[in-house]
Amino acid sequence: MLNVPVERHRLSNGLRVTLSRDPSTPVVGVNLWYAVGSRNERPGRTGFAHLFEHMMFQGSANVPKNRHFDLVEQAGGSLNASTWFDRTNYYDTVPSHHLELALWLEADRMGWMLPAMTQEKLENQQEVVKNEKKERYDNQPYGDWDERIQALVFPHDHPYHHPVIGSMEDIGSATLEDVADFFSTFYVPNNAVLTLAGDFDADSAMGLVERYFGEIPAGAPIPPLPGRVDISPVIGETAREVVVDDVPLPRVYMGLRVPPVTSDRFHAGDVAATVLGSGKASRLYRSLVREKRVAKDVLAYLFPLQTSASLLLFWVTGYPEADPEDLERALLDEIDGLSSVEQKELDRAVALTETHILRNIQQTGSRADLLSMFDQTFDDPARLNSEVDRVRAVTRSQVQDFGAEFLGPDNRAFLTYIPGESP
Amino acid sequence: MTGHAVPPLDRSLSPQPGPVRSFDFPPVISSTLSNGLTLRMARMTRVPLVSVSVVLDAGESALGDPLAGLAVLSGDGLDGGSKRLPGPDLAEALEGIGSSLAVGTGGDATAVSLTCVAERLVEGVELLSEALLSPAFPEDEIDRLRNQRLAAIRQRQMDPGSLADDAAIHAFYADSSPYHRPLAGTHDSVSGIGPDEIRSWVKDRYLPAGAGVVVVGDVEPAEVEALIQDRCGSWTGGQPERTDTPDEPRSRERRVVVVDRPGSVQSEIRIGQVGVPRSTPHFFPLKVFNTILGGAFTSRLMLNLREERGFTYGVRSRFSFRRGSGPFGISMAVATEVTAPAVAEAFSELEGLLDGGPTDAEVERARDYIAGVFPLQLETTGQVAARIGELQVYGLPDDYFGSYRDRIREVTTQGALEAGRAVIRPDEFLVVVAGDAGSIRGPLEELNLGPVEVIPPA
Repeated sequence: MLNVPVERHRLSNGLRVTLSRDPSTPVVGVNLWYAVGSRNERPGRTGFAHLFEHMMFQGSANVPKNRHFDLVEQAGGSLNASTWFDRTNYYDTVPSHHLELALWLEADRMGWMLPAMTQEKLENQQEVVKNEKKERYDNQPYGDWDERIQALVFPHDHPYHHPVIGSMEDIGSATLEDVADFFSTFYVPNNAVLTLAGDFDADSAMGLVERYFGEIPAGAPIPPLPGRVDISPVIGETAREVVVDDVPLPRVYMGLRVPPVTSDRFHAGDVAATVLGSGKASRLYRSLVREKRVAKDVLAYLFPLQTSASLLLFWVTGYPEADPEDLERALLDEIDGLSSVEQKELDRAVALTETHILRNIQQTGSRADLLSMFDQTFDDPARLNSEVDRVRAVTRSQVQDFGAEFLGPDNRAFLTYIPGESP
Repeated sequence: MTGHAVPPLDRSLSPQPGPVRSFDFPPVISSTLSNGLTLRMARMTRVPLVSVSVVLDAGESALGDPLAGLAVLSGDGLDGGSKRLPGPDLAEALEGIGSSLAVGTGGDATAVSLTCVAERLVEGVELLSEALLSPAFPEDEIDRLRNQRLAAIRQRQMDPGSLADDAAIHAFYADSSPYHRPLAGTHDSVSGIGPDEIRSWVKDRYLPAGAGVVVVGDVEPAEVEALIQDRCGSWTGGQPERTDTPDEPRSRERRVVVVDRPGSVQSEIRIGQVGVPRSTPHFFPLKVFNTILGGAFTSRLMLNLREERGFTYGVRSRFSFRRGSGPFGISMAVATEVTAPAVAEAFSELEGLLDGGPTDAEVERARDYIAGVFPLQLETTGQVAARIGELQVYGLPDDYFGSYRDRIREVTTQGALEAGRAVIRPDEFLVVVAGDAGSIRGPLEELNLGPVEVIPPA
């Protein structure tokens, strides 16, 4: 059992606040999760949540363009943000005597971002984001795998059907009016959680939070997600797509719909993913890489998502001459064999999870981020302290049941890349 | 309430900082075992974790081209386990305690490391020492690991960023320098490496007298010392041979190399040259100079190329400090159509900084940034262990990091400029671009930087 301290507050405008004090290093993390991500994007505006995240660094009423980065770097801090399916997070990690600076900056853009917005800034960041898409997706081997897998795993009208980065065309057609609408709809204190972790003065911290964030008005209730979120727990078929492309090695991806992070069955899926494909003692590495030697690398990863389902992903990279069908067969052999899972494999998953969480909470920034995650997702930041216990509570029969229900042929989406000239 | 009136909040003013709390690098406790092995320890008790790292004088730079990749593949080969504990059993034992072996091989050293919960330290050290001191290097496992490496080399050759990196160092360094080739070797060199070469390398280089053990975490130094003595005390062997790493430039003529990727939507650009070694007297001023140029988000390059022009998602400049003179360079990925303008802007920023010098305000900000983020980069046992490992590799005193921030704060505007001018020579720069030659060759020629050569991908 961990004992990361958790003290909770709620401002009258709806902002939830978690304080987690640890003065062992003179560093403080200020972390915000806004419950808005690519799932909230409407048709024709894919990629907007992420573009908006970029705009959040373009200044606010009292902070000129680039000043946020400038002040935090000058303070000896680091900062960034990221956009994901269900949320957008912003984080500043600063020497603790600069806590008030970080609060001022985050509050100014939560409350008064719009006065600083201009068409010039929007166009500049549209170009930056287009370059980000080119650099991280279009110009990368297998760079479009997530777009393709999401489209196979989630129906066309589900909010997870399209990738977070969005389409070039949609990014280019965003307007200042979209920025204003998005801001006033989603960037409101009642749609955010704030975490302070690390070194701060226990007596004055909450007063500072109230002082900077307290007068930001609450927004309207958050509108329901666009599209259809009421979907079957499984895909309903074995879906397939084959891509001949300029890739170095054949690779098979398999995506599955599994219970959302909020489901009490989520951890059985998490343990199954670790047993199968996390580490060199995992079943997939041992069989496909070490023994059969059909694969150069393998991976299983469970993306924890909130809306309808999570995404469980496998990938198997073959050697240059590998037949993708052999890769697929070897993968399925191990997945079908999960019913023989042993207790010691579960114990390994628990041990790996424990180290993983401890490693994460070493860093003030990621500790704050985890607390925000548990607050935003479960309304319970202290859940961090019992997370390992939930993994430990998973039984063999729960993993077997998970395998029987979610790893069968009615819940598989295969995406196969074959090296060759792209069409 | 605090008893006195709080003034109304004026949001137009950025808040003043509170009283500074000091940060101290954890004290390094060191000792030397009778076999010459150096043990360095530091206590960190924030979470019950411990990191153990063995730093070996076994870097790629000690190898000639025909055996390039041998140090890396030898490190990989530890995955084959020992006679007593074959690879699969080793992996299971490590992951059973929630850990795993991380082998990092660089030009100067090989580091074999793990992190585990502190109460499993004894098992962790036993497993690490078993893997490191009794490796079996079974032939069939080496075959597999070599095939994995060869496949990784193939992946690297088709990744635009790696392709540009590899082409850049080849353009920077003469063939006599090991720095001219990809760290993990080439298809040809790796193909020729087998268990015999690996065993010979390990016999010559995995030696206690040139090695350091680093243990950082929630542990008692006296217990750690006894444990390391127990597990590593019988490790024998002399001192690995140490020679200076050749680091001559390929030429001193400025030129442009285009690695042709027909149809590429972006150009991966590298601009730079042979830099300076870790031992350079300019180390701290160069840190400051580079931060201003391209080492932070608010650097001159970033503000121009990203925030003003929108040419790129990100641009940075970096010195790679090694025992020999590692590379200095600017790197960025830009849309194909703005390739030449982006190169021109990068030159203009660099030359502007070298000609006019940084302002006092820039230098102050850069110093504050580097000194301030220093503790942020030392929050984990693994981060601190990596820093302490540098003491071993670069022969730095144990108290080196204790005064690191003071050394940064001593850098003056003039000192930063002089260091930049002493080291960076734009007239000798290599410009390496992985991109669509058909679209970018002409515009690059019009920049008149020097001869433009188009080559196929490796």
